[in-house]
Amino acid sequence: MSLDIRDVLVQDKFITTADKDRILGIASNLGQSFIKVALNFGFISRKNYERSLINAGYPLQQIREEEFDRELLDKIELKFAYEHLALPLRIENGKVVTLMADPTDELFIDFIRFTFDMEPQIIVASDLDITWLSHKLLGDKYVKSAVYELLNRDPANSAIITFTANQLLFIFISIGLIIIGLFINFKIVSIVLNVLMSSFFLIAIVFKLFLALVGSRFELFQAVTREEVRKVKNEDLPVYTIHLPVYKEDKLIKKLIWNLQSLDYPREKLDIKLIIEEDDDKTLNAVRDLDFPAVFEVIVVPFHMPKTKPKACNYGLHFSRGKYLTIYDAEDIPDTDQLKKVVALFAKLPSNYICVQSALNYFNRGENFLTRMFTLEYSYWFDYMLPGLDTMDIPIPLGGTSNHFKMANLLELGAWDPFNVTEDADLGLRAYSKGYKVAIVNSTTYEEANNDFFNWIRQRSRWIKGYMQTYLVHMRNPVKLWKKVGWKGFLGFNFFIGATPLTFLAYPLLLSVFLFYVAFDLRFIRELFPDWVLFISIFNLMVGNILMIYVNMMAVFKRRYYELILFAIANPIYWLMHSAAAYKGLWQLIVNPFYWEKTNHGLSKVNNPTNVVK
Amino acid sequence: MSKNFMVLVLTLVLAGYYVFVAVYLNNMGYYNQESLFYIEKGKIVFDGIGQRLKVIGLTAPLFPFYATFVFSIVSEQLSAVLASAVGTAVLFNIMANAIIKRLDDEFYVFFLLGIFLIHPGILYAACSGKSVYLILIFFFLFYLNFFKFYLSNTTFHVSIASICLVVLVFCDYKFIWLTLFFLPLVLSISIDSLNLSEKESVFRLFISFNNPSLRRKLINKTFAMYIIIFILPLVSVLIYKMLNLTHAADLNYFIDSPYATWSVMAEKIDYNVLLDTTMHHKLPEAPIVISTRMILYCPMILVAIYLYRQRTYQILTLLTPFAFVEFLRIKYDKVYLAQQYYLIFLILALLCVVIRAVTIKEQKAFKIMLVILGVVQIYSGYMFLDRSYVKEEQTFIRVLMKKEAPDSQNENIDMANYINALPGNPRLLIDDGVAYPVAAFIKNVQGLIMPYEERFLSAVESPGRYASYILVASTKNPANGYTQLTPKYLQILRTGNNKIYLEKRFETNDWILYKIDQH
Repeated sequence: MSLDIRDVLVQDKFITTADKDRILGIASNLGQSFIKVALNFGFISRKNYERSLINAGYPLQQIREEEFDRELLDKIELKFAYEHLALPLRIENGKVVTLMADPTDELFIDFIRFTFDMEPQIIVASDLDITWLSHKLLGDKYVKSAVYELLNRDPANSAIITFTANQLLFIFISIGLIIIGLFINFKIVSIVLNVLMSSFFLIAIVFKLFLALVGSRFELFQAVTREEVRKVKNEDLPVYTIHLPVYKEDKLIKKLIWNLQSLDYPREKLDIKLIIEEDDDKTLNAVRDLDFPAVFEVIVVPFHMPKTKPKACNYGLHFSRGKYLTIYDAEDIPDTDQLKKVVALFAKLPSNYICVQSALNYFNRGENFLTRMFTLEYSYWFDYMLPGLDTMDIPIPLGGTSNHFKMANLLELGAWDPFNVTEDADLGLRAYSKGYKVAIVNSTTYEEANNDFFNWIRQRSRWIKGYMQTYLVHMRNPVKLWKKVGWKGFLGFNFFIGATPLTFLAYPLLLSVFLFYVAFDLRFIRELFPDWVLFISIFNLMVGNILMIYVNMMAVFKRRYYELILFAIANPIYWLMHSAAAYKGLWQLIVNPFYWEKTNHGLSKVNNPTNVVK
Repeated sequence: MSKNFMVLVLTLVLAGYYVFVAVYLNNMGYYNQESLFYIEKGKIVFDGIGQRLKVIGLTAPLFPFYATFVFSIVSEQLSAVLASAVGTAVLFNIMANAIIKRLDDEFYVFFLLGIFLIHPGILYAACSGKSVYLILIFFFLFYLNFFKFYLSNTTFHVSIASICLVVLVFCDYKFIWLTLFFLPLVLSISIDSLNLSEKESVFRLFISFNNPSLRRKLINKTFAMYIIIFILPLVSVLIYKMLNLTHAADLNYFIDSPYATWSVMAEKIDYNVLLDTTMHHKLPEAPIVISTRMILYCPMILVAIYLYRQRTYQILTLLTPFAFVEFLRIKYDKVYLAQQYYLIFLILALLCVVIRAVTIKEQKAFKIMLVILGVVQIYSGYMFLDRSYVKEEQTFIRVLMKKEAPDSQNENIDMANYINALPGNPRLLIDDGVAYPVAAFIKNVQGLIMPYEERFLSAVESPGRYASYILVASTKNPANGYTQLTPKYLQILRTGNNKIYLEKRFETNDWILYKIDQH
């Protein structure tokens, strides 16, 4: 009889006997196979495991093209196959051809014997290939649930329909009325539009300054103090799920593991899921080629449209077991004590707080103009705006990552909308409208700022398109929204989600009018700006710009990024880039609303040290 | 009774007291150039015809005008004094709230109340209708937030301080120069914030300048602080200048034009050092000596400096107003320092007491000292006003203390009364750049043709076609050289081919009213 693979690993000195006992303990607690725990909780690398298998006479086979029998597959549950890294494929020569990552897993072998009343014919394969194949063959019902769950439960909040009939009617009637008005009295209608736009800009900007001041007032307030973090006992900590939805991020896998290993949280209580798409062999192979132990489980999302991050996360939810859940991008470097801070904060907050948002900032801020501007923007957004919104009890548009949820409430809300490309902002509002609250924690996740112009435009166009989608979804019935979120929530939503794309769309128009006026002093423009309108417009132009520049300066001042302060002056140029992205987003909203513009990560050449919080 | 409620009640009582005194003084006939200017502009905005938006946007200083403007709804004639009375009570409220947040001793609230009730300078701020109250409010808030910044190191306080400075500058443009004296202060803050073992500031500066990394840090931080504190006031002024340029074709319209601000004429006539020295040989406030005058006016500032001994930033902060007034004396050497530049020391001293009183162990002795200094300051406040080089300040205290009815506006009121009594709402050509004290008393502003209207220039060219009356400054009027509507202008009209006949209808020392008949 062949040796148990557990003993082989000890014999090969890849794990110690103590490790083996620890793995067995974790495996028994989680109901997972020994090898699943060993490979995914940082005990042994896949390369070493393969070496041990070869030593024991089990070379790994390529299995992706293996034939399978659907009837036989129907007898096994995906979760069971996933937890044991094994999958029965077909019956051949009176035996069940079974893929196994650990050919000595007696429990699964017994399962095959009892279920099919036959002996298994074991094909040893890489755990990643088995995971890939099991999700591909058995994941259909889960992926359908990931796509249609929200639509079935709460169709009014699904972005599957971009424009409702009423919205289209409203848009076209408004455009029609404006055109008719322009034909009847071009000058008056233009002046009215001009004044409306200018006033809207100014109100939005003054409101943002106000929020920034409110936010900055609490910059010394610590939601969770170091002392409170120190008091958190490891044994009392709940299981924490971390979703890492990635697509073709092969270059970042090593960094990802370093960052995850730095987290100050008991390893066995972390439930980390690297969620990759079925066609993403690059990332899968990068995981396979790691020459050190991984600290995450891989989930493969079977192909299904739309191919978006929220769909992947929804799929991952089916396999997650944490009490709390957060999402990080592959390149994220969270403060090491972030998870503990969140646990401590949730313990302090009333039960209706279901999400905690951490601040986001950038580790490569000094790399080029774009990264500097991005840092200015994020510092302002996460350090001032969100705390300001939080203080004023206005719905918070969640950031794309580092938002920590209570799992039960997330499921109750129907999780993320797979048809919305800024599912985070949408979820923030949905949570608020159901009476739930979002808190802000004094912890930062450092990300990689986009340092490439076209990559930036792609990313930003998706964000702006998502804001448009979210706005359209929730404004299908404005009265209902008003009743649900109150006047503050309603105004906040209109100013932040609605106004953001609108201001970016209007900005180049107003700017060109101004430039033409300055450069050519065109008579027809002069007519659109009678003295009093010119007065208001110049005031808006000047005051609006300086206020926005100032709030950006305030934010980097707070972060002590003094070298960036002057870059705030370049904001008008940065907004022009936003405008370009906004027009791209608008175009996509009409022709391809669910298309997920992929942002490439790993372009930065800046070294990203882990942000250890002592 | 909670402390907050007590402060609110005291504020309301104080506001009532100020309104009573202000109305009393108003009835006694006390007016000043600034309040009349605001009243006149308020009338234009509410009742005038033509480009009123320009008057709203280009009347300076902005915030005092807007504050007066709000009270025009209650009474146009009393709007300025109502604004100053209520505004000074608000200042008390802000300061008293700052006290109850920090000190658990009602003595300080009542001490403050005592100062606000009887200090002549504060009464002047409250009951004169001038913008002094707004200057004091935002001066107090500016310094309060600066001191808070020293304690908390939060961007919030430094930003609020910056916003307060913006408002302060738009209450009195001269406060823009205060920014100059924060330059060494900011450098000192930056040096102190560097992580160095050396404690002495001079050596810290030496070390940081000779180390490239520290030098870069120091420069970055100092520069960032300058930007955060001063960019808003500086750019706001720049923007305002732009608006002036686009709407009045003059960047400095708001400080140079008598149509935009009251101070142009007042500083040439009432506040002018040269006039006094040449005519009365008074010894003006001399540079250097001015700081001593400030200490004599407010000896409590010495206590404030003592309270912050061994704290470099705070001492430097307390010295900035001294440098500021010295600078003003040099920069505006032809103009006397008005009361607000004295009162800022009183407010600053009180602020320091509010913040630092808690650190004093011998509270009883400290309180006795404060009471003694308070009494001395009330006396010095009276003396400074009574001997003020600025006539309207002197008039104020004489009306208040000696019930001497002033006659400064009698002629203007007489002229206005005559115009008000003219039958049939006639049109009157008037240059409110100099004649705003008359216009302020005229009831029907729509009957006046003034420079803010487009037709004014045409009316000056051929008055017969536009107006039936014309008000000209007599040769005795000190503002005679600053308006076109003078006897010389009438001479030109008569000699020109205007075919008009001018009939003198009413005459005072400063003004002559002509009826125009066109043949």
